[in-house]
Amino acid sequence: MKSRFLKGLSGALALLSLAACLAAPVLYFLGRITEASYKTAFLVASIGYFVFAVGRGFVRTAPET
Amino acid sequence: MATPWTRLTAAMDRLYEFDREPVTPDKLQSGGKFAGLFAGEHVAATEFVIGAFFVLHGVGARDLIFGLLFGNLLAVLSWTFVCAPIAVRTRLTLYWYLKKIAGPGVTFIYNIANALLYCILAGAMISVAATAVGLLFGIPIPQLGTVLPPNLGWIAIVIVLGAAFTTMAILGFSKLSRFAAIASPWIFFVFIAGAVAVLPRLGVRPDLGNLWDVATTKIWNGVAIAGQEKLGFWHVLFFAWFCNLAMHIGLSDMALFRYAKRWTYGLFTAFGVYPGHMLAWMASGVMVAAIGREMHPGLMAFEAAGLAGVAGVLLAGWTTANPTLYRAGLALQTVTPNWPRWKITLIAGIVTTVLACFPIFFLKLLDYVAIYGLVLMPIGAVVFAEHWIFPRLGLEQYRAEKRGWTFNGAALAAWLGTLAVAFVLPIHLYFRWLPCWFIAVAAYTGLMAVRRRSA
Repeated sequence: MKSRFLKGLSGALALLSLAACLAAPVLYFLGRITEASYKTAFLVASIGYFVFAVGRGFVRTAPET
Repeated sequence: MATPWTRLTAAMDRLYEFDREPVTPDKLQSGGKFAGLFAGEHVAATEFVIGAFFVLHGVGARDLIFGLLFGNLLAVLSWTFVCAPIAVRTRLTLYWYLKKIAGPGVTFIYNIANALLYCILAGAMISVAATAVGLLFGIPIPQLGTVLPPNLGWIAIVIVLGAAFTTMAILGFSKLSRFAAIASPWIFFVFIAGAVAVLPRLGVRPDLGNLWDVATTKIWNGVAIAGQEKLGFWHVLFFAWFCNLAMHIGLSDMALFRYAKRWTYGLFTAFGVYPGHMLAWMASGVMVAAIGREMHPGLMAFEAAGLAGVAGVLLAGWTTANPTLYRAGLALQTVTPNWPRWKITLIAGIVTTVLACFPIFFLKLLDYVAIYGLVLMPIGAVVFAEHWIFPRLGLEQYRAEKRGWTFNGAALAAWLGTLAVAFVLPIHLYFRWLPCWFIAVAAYTGLMAVRRRSA
């Protein structure tokens, strides 16, 4: 895959997933979600982070012309 | 005719050939690169254990915070004022610079000592990861004070993990290093998320009004658990300072700083030590308090962050044991220079796995970290003396290189003599390295000065 856009998108989604990893325990601490929901959200966000961060490594940007 | 030593030296040099020449100006790296590198370097599996041990050792909250603040500051300053300036002036790795100073024989012994210490460290990381896997299979993990392998289940898990980590280190070190760089920020988030999530269990209210109260009474309450020594401010300060002793005072991070444009890049280590050796340690302390002060990293992470927490412990063990195994293999390769890399990594992996079966290495991790730094520190002192003190005293530098010495006896004597003094010094293990550093500097300088007169 060669796309600057895809690389940027994967990077942004990885960062968003990481932010979700932090948001989940904070929401649980504030009593907005249950412990089970927090743990599920943290797991899903973690998987998302690895998918997007590793995927970003596979995206090759087109050479500058 | 070539002697066994000259053959060994030539073979050893070939292994490090790629970094033989000083770094050229076009290869120097920006400050941002250094900040990024250090930010990802200091969050390892062992942080799950170290921070928890501070709680078990009865460190008070105030002692912990100020001890870590100042101890990490001293570590950053050690990188900045001791390690980075020598690296920037020489643009060499410790291996090549030590060879000029102490001769190939001492460098060889240093490499072997380093390899064995790396194996023990990687073994501790495998043990920590084994607590996470043991939890999934219901296998009891070793209790504090256990020295020998506690049960067959533990041995089986350690062997499986050791085999897996070693195989991956053999198959793809560089790819795994890239994966480790990706995993590193997430592992840090596991610590932070875990700590935040267990706060309600410890009784912290959402408005944080009683946070300090809970911290001082339920987490770092100043009471050591049975069988654990009470530690205080100075212990924490010295621990934070020396936990990377081999890297800063011991100068092994010359390998990194030789790429720095300026010696002040040592300050960028703050991006690594404050998140990894302060926040992560505090987070693991919070987590261990929430599970009733039981030294069980796997359980701690599972209770705090669920399955992702268990994966965090496992990944932290894997990604940090991998480069450690690689470095151990590289150092051990000097003994068997004609062996392929895979074979020596396999040997390092087997040694590491056997060591990991003995839980004493992770259950006595704080003491081990102190010993690890102490053993390698005198070599840093020898290099420091030769680099900075010899020119000021008018002593000739690099005599080992100029005269073709295999062993610089003064360097070896200063190293071993310092370790002998450290062994009998009647102060706490954590504090021994500091007077011993001065002893090593003075001993080496004195011995070389006497040698000049007698020559």
